[in-house]
Amino acid sequence: MLLNFERLGAWKWILLVITGLTAAFLILPILFIAALSFGSSQWLIFPPPSWTLQWYTAFFADPRWLEAAWTSFRIAVMVTVLSVLIGLVASFGLVRGRFIGKEALRALFLTPMILPVVVLAVALYAFFLRIGLNGTTTGFVIAHLVVALPFSILSITNALEGFEKSIEDAAVLCGAHPLEAKIRVTLPAISHGLFSAAIFSFLTSWDEVVLAIFMASPTLQTLPVKIWTTLRQDLTPVIAAASTLLVIVTIALMLLAALVRKGLKS
Amino acid sequence: MTEPFLQIRGLRKDYGIVTAVSDVNITVERGEFMTFLGPSGSGKSTTLYILAGFENPTAGDILLNGESLISTPSHKRNIGMVFQRYTLFPHLSVGENIAFPLKVRRWGKAAIDAKVKQMLGLVRLEGFEDRKPAQMSGGQQQRVALARALAYDPPVLLMDEPLSALDKKLREEIQHEIRRIHQETEVTILYVTHDQEEALRLSDRIAVFSKGVIDQIGTGPELYANPSNRFVASFIGDSDFVTCKIISMRDGRAALSIGSGPVIHGVPVHGKNVEGGMAALMLRPERLSLSRAAVGEGAFGLSAKVTDITFLGSNIHVAALAPSGETLSVRLPFGHEAAAGLSRGDTIFLGFDPESAHVFCG
Repeated sequence: MLLNFERLGAWKWILLVITGLTAAFLILPILFIAALSFGSSQWLIFPPPSWTLQWYTAFFADPRWLEAAWTSFRIAVMVTVLSVLIGLVASFGLVRGRFIGKEALRALFLTPMILPVVVLAVALYAFFLRIGLNGTTTGFVIAHLVVALPFSILSITNALEGFEKSIEDAAVLCGAHPLEAKIRVTLPAISHGLFSAAIFSFLTSWDEVVLAIFMASPTLQTLPVKIWTTLRQDLTPVIAAASTLLVIVTIALMLLAALVRKGLKS
Repeated sequence: MTEPFLQIRGLRKDYGIVTAVSDVNITVERGEFMTFLGPSGSGKSTTLYILAGFENPTAGDILLNGESLISTPSHKRNIGMVFQRYTLFPHLSVGENIAFPLKVRRWGKAAIDAKVKQMLGLVRLEGFEDRKPAQMSGGQQQRVALARALAYDPPVLLMDEPLSALDKKLREEIQHEIRRIHQETEVTILYVTHDQEEALRLSDRIAVFSKGVIDQIGTGPELYANPSNRFVASFIGDSDFVTCKIISMRDGRAALSIGSGPVIHGVPVHGKNVEGGMAALMLRPERLSLSRAAVGEGAFGLSAKVTDITFLGSNIHVAALAPSGETLSVRLPFGHEAAAGLSRGDTIFLGFDPESAHVFCG
């Protein structure tokens, strides 16, 4: 190996400190919020004078919070399903197809990843205003689908490119209809890619706030939007509790993804 | 007369302006082991892929028992195929892989179990049923692929360089297995390879492909003894080529001379008449005789200088430089008296039986 960590001498400790500081910088705000959500102070005093679960009780007792969480979940699930389905079909075209402009199309599919989200949000808002989709679930799903699809296409094309096409051909010669061969052989073989696509699509929608603010109406709000609007009205530790719940779902899904990846490897 | 088993008639495949294969005509007998041999890009794999139905021919037809296969989609052709890459279904066990074509055909469970067992016996992998492909060696995987391709008793088995990913020793081992399985099952096999030794070892007949056309079809010995052109001669077995001058051509025989040497009569000749012109004389290294002295007038066509001597177990290879600048190799059996005491720089005299040589013109 070019850089052997064990042989770095004093550098080893400097690197460890830098790594530790970076990790702390990334994780501390989240830990801070989580700690505040269990604190008894209504004014989010840190360190908390004492510990309580009252903000979580308040969260689960308030139908508006629950509805926002349910809306987030509902939209994220729809985005996930559509994103994986469309991503799968698009990936087959991008990987297996032979047509002019294929690479340009692939790049186009990935532009929502680099385009400033707020630009997309304003554009979609203006467009949805004309066709009356603002403040609807459909509008939400479409908006989130735009930003979720690149992740889906990226993971599925990756998996499909790593899949030996002859394996599918072999299934066809064994007597399976080309579609049956894809369902029974190709899909199981690229399931890790489909799974990553699903997780990333879900998370993209689940914690997305910019598009959601534009798409939301007073009656249709996702959890991040509810946190945002509540934050602007008053400062309550329920926000910390909601944020912590949001993060817990995200971490749980990331862990699940890591576990599945490990399971698929062995 | 009964209908030939498998006929490929006037097959042609164009990709845009590029012609991959043209004018391919082959008749295969039931139970025959036919190999398509040729370098990469010679059209042998394209022909196989058209047989499998993965490519549509631009022109021509394929008849199996007299019926055209062209309009039948791949999955209904009932043809078996073993691929160059490992193509076992990664998420299924060995047993499930072999059962796959049978499940697709809606066989009953008992029949499937019995057949899987029988096929594992055929490829000598009893007890491997529950293994996953990733837990097996390349050779084992190709044997399972063979079992899967034969499980539904296809009339024809296609094999597309199935051993090219394996090392030499393993390759030879599996070649023996393929031979045995061919004899046991009597399935008709169309085999693609670029390895002449593999082709000679396995096949009943070989079709030599070059630049999209078949140069020659015949048994190994036929191709070796009577190659129809320079390409076939150089592709099957080792060969030496010497430039010679054609003095006369008649009835498929030529009289020729090499350099300023004597006229040699009665050499089989192929190609158009080039009397008075130059042509390539092909000699087989093991049919050349080697002498230390120019014995008798005209008995030896060539003098040459030894440039290298290689001991290869049962054979000794002598490389020699002819006055024309061409390098010839001579193969002598180990212990041959002509090789005793031979060393680099010695002048030797090479002779050959005109019947064993060939001249290729044009």
